[in-house]
Amino acid sequence: MPYVSDEKVRRLYWLPNLVTDTATTRGETESTHDRLVPLYGTVPNLFRLQNQLPKVVQAEEQLICSIFQDRSLPREVKRGLLSTVARARRNNYCWVLHSRGGTEQSDCLPGLQSIAVKLVSSGCTFSPHDLTSLRAAGFKDEVLLDAILTVALGQLLCTLAEGLVPELDFENPTAVDPLPLPEQELDVRTEAGPSIMAPPRRSFDFAPYATLRDNVGFVPNLFHAQGSRPAVIEAEVHAFEQIIVPDEYLSRTQKECLLLVLAAANANTYCVALQSQILAALGTAEDDLRQIANDFRRAGLSDSDLALYEETQKLSWPIAGSEFSAERLRNAGSSSEQVLEACATAALGNFFATLQFGLGCIPDFTPERILTAKDLYRLRTLVRPISDVNTPDDPDSDLVYQAQSGNNDAFEELVRRHNRRIFGTLAGILGDLDDTRDATQEAFLKAYEHIGRFERRSKFSTWLTSIAVNTATESLRRRKPLESLDEIETEVFRPRQVLQWASDPEQLLSATQRNSLVREAVLRLPYKYRVAVLLRDISQFSTEDAAATLGLSVSALKARVLRGRLMLRESLSVHFMRPEKPNA
Amino acid sequence: MLSCAEFLSEFGDYLEHSAEPGLRARLEEHLHECKTCCVIVDSTRKTIQIVTDSDCFNLPGTLGESIVTEVMGRVRQKS
Repeated sequence: MPYVSDEKVRRLYWLPNLVTDTATTRGETESTHDRLVPLYGTVPNLFRLQNQLPKVVQAEEQLICSIFQDRSLPREVKRGLLSTVARARRNNYCWVLHSRGGTEQSDCLPGLQSIAVKLVSSGCTFSPHDLTSLRAAGFKDEVLLDAILTVALGQLLCTLAEGLVPELDFENPTAVDPLPLPEQELDVRTEAGPSIMAPPRRSFDFAPYATLRDNVGFVPNLFHAQGSRPAVIEAEVHAFEQIIVPDEYLSRTQKECLLLVLAAANANTYCVALQSQILAALGTAEDDLRQIANDFRRAGLSDSDLALYEETQKLSWPIAGSEFSAERLRNAGSSSEQVLEACATAALGNFFATLQFGLGCIPDFTPERILTAKDLYRLRTLVRPISDVNTPDDPDSDLVYQAQSGNNDAFEELVRRHNRRIFGTLAGILGDLDDTRDATQEAFLKAYEHIGRFERRSKFSTWLTSIAVNTATESLRRRKPLESLDEIETEVFRPRQVLQWASDPEQLLSATQRNSLVREAVLRLPYKYRVAVLLRDISQFSTEDAAATLGLSVSALKARVLRGRLMLRESLSVHFMRPEKPNA
Repeated sequence: MLSCAEFLSEFGDYLEHSAEPGLRARLEEHLHECKTCCVIVDSTRKTIQIVTDSDCFNLPGTLGESIVTEVMGRVRQKS
């Protein structure tokens, strides 16, 4: 039975604690996760990677099983829907996990597939009208509810996979074949009201509702709308209770805020209103809530919370343009348990958002405003193509496709194209020639190993350089502790050298002398400024590409580049100042 | 008018000629009055030019081909 080896678990850089001799070790895992094995034939690596949080894994298992146990839709159709969600999100891990055995095409009816794709790509435009043709084809509401729950589950699993980046569970020779996404609609959904009519459930004797009243103060409409599926409600509430409520690693307020950020990023009016109400009840001021929902970057958050929300927002869908970076969270001081909790929280947030889009529940409270698909762009700092599989202006696109199909000659051409730039960037980080050569080779080999997961949401060069920078960072960190890459600049840099430079300073020294001075000055820069300057001024990346490579906001990247340039100016000033005129 | 500290934290886009008009006007108003910041802008632009033109981290002659050979040898072993 395939499973991730202990060695591979160790190599996951952000998991400092090894999986040790507890109920979570591989020897006991199959029996501990006995509900997953019948579904998947193994315990997927996605869950093994969360072994540090056994209650979270158990809650996720219960949710999966509660959705799979209902037979309104056959199990193979559900697998097909999960596979469809993975293809729409271009998530290779989940696609391999669910499409094993080739269930997708034959077992997922086109009508169901289309609602899955719409919920995944533009959930905020989903309306009762989207279910009309399925109803006309004889699908009962029970079946449609089952389908929507399955799509929401697919979102949960894809979110986890995008955060945790597990090894594949099964050998797969080809990368995920992405589904074309529909044109983005920018209109408000025209038909308000629930899409699915569920029979009401008496609440006074239903334990999950009591849990909700204890922890939220009321029973949100989202749960009432699923009244015909008590086992699912029970599992959802249990997941909420185990993942969101405990003040264990992240505080509950942090996790509820994170859900608010995600709800806004998903343009989910219902969830923004719900989260705002919950956070207000937990003591968060209304002005703060409004600011977090509108633009959390200006909400005066601590550096660590800012990193937490910025990274976790990337797990929303449509994705904000760059990949989630657990490394950044670790550098900002998060423990591996906190990173795991953030991923699990985001996964549950996307689950509930998708469910709400599909069911069309009416907000429990009057929303401050109605979010639309336009907000998908406004609320994110980056514009992302919705329906283009290729980044239009990526000159490597064709070669990448060929390399992903196993064409090694194409990969060799990519190595030749990027060899010089990768080497230059790494030389500026590491300094030593031998270390740079080794790191360059290692970066290309990592790229080869993971090219199947490259989803073309950024340019290939950005993705490759990101791998190279991470490789060099790990190499440096093995030598000595590094300052955090994610500190926000708080002090203004005060220049000391303020004498005029020569009008043509490059004429003052030979090229060899200039190169030597620049090299020494760059290598003396603190690491975070050095990397930013290298990408902008040596490797000539655009500001946006450099920011994406480092997982930073554009404004943070600009601040670092400016600080690095001012420091370089300080170092070089003494060599390039205007020569003093002899006294007359 | 902007202080020198404010100027120094805001002039990154100005260096790259991408500051929005309102900010650019405030920065230029400051530069009109502050010789020290004029020197800093001029010397920072020259710094960028020198660093950008530098060959200090270039891949040495034959090393490029040896990296390609080494990487592709290991790739072909794996595949």
